[in-house]
Amino acid sequence: MSGSLSRSADLPKVWSIMRPVWGQIRFAMGLAGIASAFTLGALTMLAWAVHRLLATPDQWPWLPLLLAVVLTVLAYVLRLTAFNQSHYAAFRLETRLRTQLSEHLARLPLGYVQQTGAGALTKVLMEDVKALHVFVADSTPLYARAYVSPILTFALLWWLDWHLALVATAVLALGVAVVSLAMRNSGEMMRQYNEAGENVSRAVVEYVQAMPVVRTFDTGTVTFGRYQRALEAYRDIVTRWYRMAGVSSRLSQLILSPLPTLAALIWVGAWLISQENMDAGVWLAVLLVGTGMAESLLPLMSLKHLVAKTQMSIHRIHEVMAEPELPVPDETAAKTPQDANVRFEKVNFCYTPSGPLVLRDVSFDVPAGTVTALVGPSGAGKTTVARLIPRFWDVTDGSIRIGDVDVREMLPETLMQQVAFVFQDTFLFADSLANNIRLGLPEATLDEVIAAAKAAQAHDFIMALPQGYDTQAGERGIFLSGGQRQRITIARAILQNRPILVLDEATAFADPENEAALVAALANLMQGKTVLMVAHRLSTIRDADQILVFDQGQLAERGKHDALVAQKGVYARLWHNYEQAQDWVLAGEQA
Amino acid sequence: MSTNTPPITSLRETWRQLMRSARSRSARLRASLIALAVAAAVQGLALACLMPLFQTLIPAANWQAALPWLLIMSVLMLTSLAIRWWAQGFDYLGYTVANTHELRTLMGEQLRRIPLELLQDKRAGEVNATLLGNVDENLNYLLTVAAMMAHALITPVVVALAALYFDWRMGLILLLVFPLLIPLYRWRRPSFGRGMQMLADANQRTSSDILEYTQGLPVLRAACCTGEKAEHLRDSFSHLEKIQTIGQKKGAKPNLILATVMELAVLLVVFLGILFVVQGSLDIALLAALLVIVVRFSEPLATFVIYAKVIDIMEAALGKIDALSNIKPLPQQTPAQLPDGFEIRFEEISFAYANTEKQILRNLNAQLPARSLTALVGPSGSGKTTITRLLMRHADPQKGRITIGGVDLRAIEPERLNELISVVFQDVYLFDDSILANIRMARPDASDEEVEAAARAAHCHEFITRLPEGYQTLVGEIGGRLSGGERQRISIARAILKDAPIVILDEPTAALDTESEVAVQAAIDTLVRERIVIVIAHRLSTIAGADQILVIDKGELAESGKHQELLANQGRYARMWQAQQSIKEWHITSAQGVI
Repeated sequence: MSGSLSRSADLPKVWSIMRPVWGQIRFAMGLAGIASAFTLGALTMLAWAVHRLLATPDQWPWLPLLLAVVLTVLAYVLRLTAFNQSHYAAFRLETRLRTQLSEHLARLPLGYVQQTGAGALTKVLMEDVKALHVFVADSTPLYARAYVSPILTFALLWWLDWHLALVATAVLALGVAVVSLAMRNSGEMMRQYNEAGENVSRAVVEYVQAMPVVRTFDTGTVTFGRYQRALEAYRDIVTRWYRMAGVSSRLSQLILSPLPTLAALIWVGAWLISQENMDAGVWLAVLLVGTGMAESLLPLMSLKHLVAKTQMSIHRIHEVMAEPELPVPDETAAKTPQDANVRFEKVNFCYTPSGPLVLRDVSFDVPAGTVTALVGPSGAGKTTVARLIPRFWDVTDGSIRIGDVDVREMLPETLMQQVAFVFQDTFLFADSLANNIRLGLPEATLDEVIAAAKAAQAHDFIMALPQGYDTQAGERGIFLSGGQRQRITIARAILQNRPILVLDEATAFADPENEAALVAALANLMQGKTVLMVAHRLSTIRDADQILVFDQGQLAERGKHDALVAQKGVYARLWHNYEQAQDWVLAGEQA
Repeated sequence: MSTNTPPITSLRETWRQLMRSARSRSARLRASLIALAVAAAVQGLALACLMPLFQTLIPAANWQAALPWLLIMSVLMLTSLAIRWWAQGFDYLGYTVANTHELRTLMGEQLRRIPLELLQDKRAGEVNATLLGNVDENLNYLLTVAAMMAHALITPVVVALAALYFDWRMGLILLLVFPLLIPLYRWRRPSFGRGMQMLADANQRTSSDILEYTQGLPVLRAACCTGEKAEHLRDSFSHLEKIQTIGQKKGAKPNLILATVMELAVLLVVFLGILFVVQGSLDIALLAALLVIVVRFSEPLATFVIYAKVIDIMEAALGKIDALSNIKPLPQQTPAQLPDGFEIRFEEISFAYANTEKQILRNLNAQLPARSLTALVGPSGSGKTTITRLLMRHADPQKGRITIGGVDLRAIEPERLNELISVVFQDVYLFDDSILANIRMARPDASDEEVEAAARAAHCHEFITRLPEGYQTLVGEIGGRLSGGERQRISIARAILKDAPIVILDEPTAALDTESEVAVQAAIDTLVRERIVIVIAHRLSTIAGADQILVIDKGELAESGKHQELLANQGRYARMWQAQQSIKEWHITSAQGVI
């Protein structure tokens, strides 16, 4: 995060986040402003009541009392309504923003979602949106009050007695002067403070998360040192800040606290009264309302601090919203592929406009009903090839065509109806196993689900679970091993029964017993499909119709296994390594 | 997540926790808090001066009589401000910062001592990270809040007591009305807690729904049902909004009553005062003075209600800090002993993780001779990893004992035990620091040459020197550019540098591609030379040469022996072996899929 985010120049942008509920917020602020006017009015009425009593001590001052009660009640009701309104608006804003963000995510390139990470995006949708609450709900009515109250108070004081108005203003001016002394350089200090604070959070997370690993290394001595250094830097900055601004900020707090204003008004007022230059009732009114100016300034200062904190969150929300969506063709112009042929035509690809090319001039053809394997060293681009087909990203140049239609000319639904995916990171939703299998096909019957599960070798272990197909999966559900989860996703793909199949390292994480079942499941899934598979276990693809060998983003070799081995190129080297890795035996000393 | 209302700690317990958390500064903190109370009381006295003062000015002004009271009032006000100034020094002179700093340091040290099993799961990590991260936010406002409480509670009582002297009826009314706030506040807290819990649950639900949605987006898009799930998500959002709205309404009710009581109290004082004045039994100057004073109370009382939340948050944080500090480290037997050999024995081990019922290991016996290679095999969840964790003393077994060189693990000092064991995990954790520092963390006193030698032995040197800044390259800046195999080799370099006699390999090559695998295997071959090695591996061919293979099933030792013996046994191991051999033969062709 760059430090420039906390500049106050961004302030208008901060307010713009409330646009969807702006009407309600303005309403709330208006009410809060009127409420503070009524509060002042009620106090004036009380002073008036005493004034009347002074004139006629044996008569009830009914009218001022009644008005005081009415204004108090009104002010209270208005204030409460204002706070309720701003809170409801804030809640509504949270829902609105989360809905907008989640809909936006569904239209972004999947690659962005994967690169940013589900955790980070969840944090934006949850925590950052939640962080707006203090700003939108709590501070907007206070803002109204903080601006309305001093102005009205000053006007009222001026009307009551201009001497005392000047006295109150003088104290206030002194306070403000000291405040600005305290705030001198605060921008720079604030930046350093935020930075140190973020370093501490990062160090804490690293320290705590890595704990299980590092304790096996050095009982955490090194990481503890890193953690402590971040803490010390933070302590030093805060201490320095206090030392620099401490006296003036303490002083400003004292001056702006009600006591000095009150004392000044009492002294000057007492003098004026004894000189018979002022009426006791007026003095009383001044004493009741006079401290209001200073009192409403202090909250304003802490509010500024709160808003500055919210800025980071707002910035992150804006950042996600600004991410461009994946272009989708018009419904009328959209095309539908004729067959299950997959073709890459002169595909170039890079993740960011300025980044290096990850794929360069890649062209190949996968005829319908054939099996193509993608192999290559790590970082060669084979996984990228697999992920470009479902449009995780769009190609930079060239095109990818399915059944002779560019994937960008199809509606997303059409594309997805052509292609099924099994990726190595399996994901199950917090739902029943049956629903996880029939995901996207809600009309599939349980019999169809069971048939798919059987073909995916998942039926037996599902039936062994206490609740069978109704067992809940996902985070709050039952624990399934990697291989078992993988077979559920294969069952899902079998049920979907789409003509093209993209497999990415489908068997990477299985233990031996699961692996056999997994292999059988895959075999069933692949029946009669156009298959593109990213493979590491080279023995499995020996009989593929076509092997595409990638190296540093280029299609280096292509052909069948035997021919490629004979070429003595990249593939031959991979094959050699593979055989060597397979034969690796950890040797015991005593063996 | 419990659905119960969090228990309310008594004020005395909170005070004790607070003093404990202030550690060496508790005397200064106590003095500061008491000073704040005194300042509030003196302020009450200063305000009380308004009563005699007004009597000298209303209805007829007498400057000579007023002057002494004006002076007394001013002196009292200055005294109050001065005491408060001193008390706030706890913040401004850096005591608070020093204190949160010390607390964080101590809690960090505590994390290094408590049994590792308590830190293993991710949630525990998040909880602790939040706790350590927010210490300052939770405790920094302590004095501000305390000052506010003092003004809201103590000042009114002092004024009321003083008022008794001038007019006992008015004094009594003040005394009855304003302290009412305390029971009212205690009364509304439970409902606050309940609302918070409901809200926390709803937030939790929305949060996990969002996480599921973002994690599952690729699958959802592939299944063409983003809309469907998005609807579910929207339900979750509106559910949260409903709970928030209810919470706001419910929370508003006690606040409403509190605020009404306060506003009414002011009006009540005025009404009764006017009644007594009209009756002729109360000096009108006293009424005017009381009016000015009472109006002063409403602001602190109102802020007090708002800040009541902060008090709850502070109390909760103090409770959690206490809970973390109270976790006992694993017991250490005295006198500490040094193992003279490295032979490892597991004797009748039974084990279940803390706060769980399930027995992970049952009556396990095993012996690992010096310089031998032992493989642990078995289905996932059978307890293989737990065995290695017990050896590293993440936790102690409930029954049985583990010895190294004949010495009970519990008698070996943690640092010493640590020096004995290196681990290579499947996941590698690299720190946001240079590659050099990442390797050297295994032995901080190692020279650059030693680090480089270790890197060479782990087959890292070549790719490290190809990086833009070689060994000084920051991992954070190239994070994604290191492949799994390269990261793994860095972790093996660490282990080589550490040079411990016992090596644990937990699936070190499972997540690697073929090319990396060969290099990692070569690195491991260097690492395991001349050591006791315990390896967990799925690919059985890897460990066919092991001195002994322990087949673990459901926490028990199902079989043990050498590869050939186990094959001859025709048991579990033999079945796994055959399953794996048959997959080796698997390959795909078009049309029928599999031959």
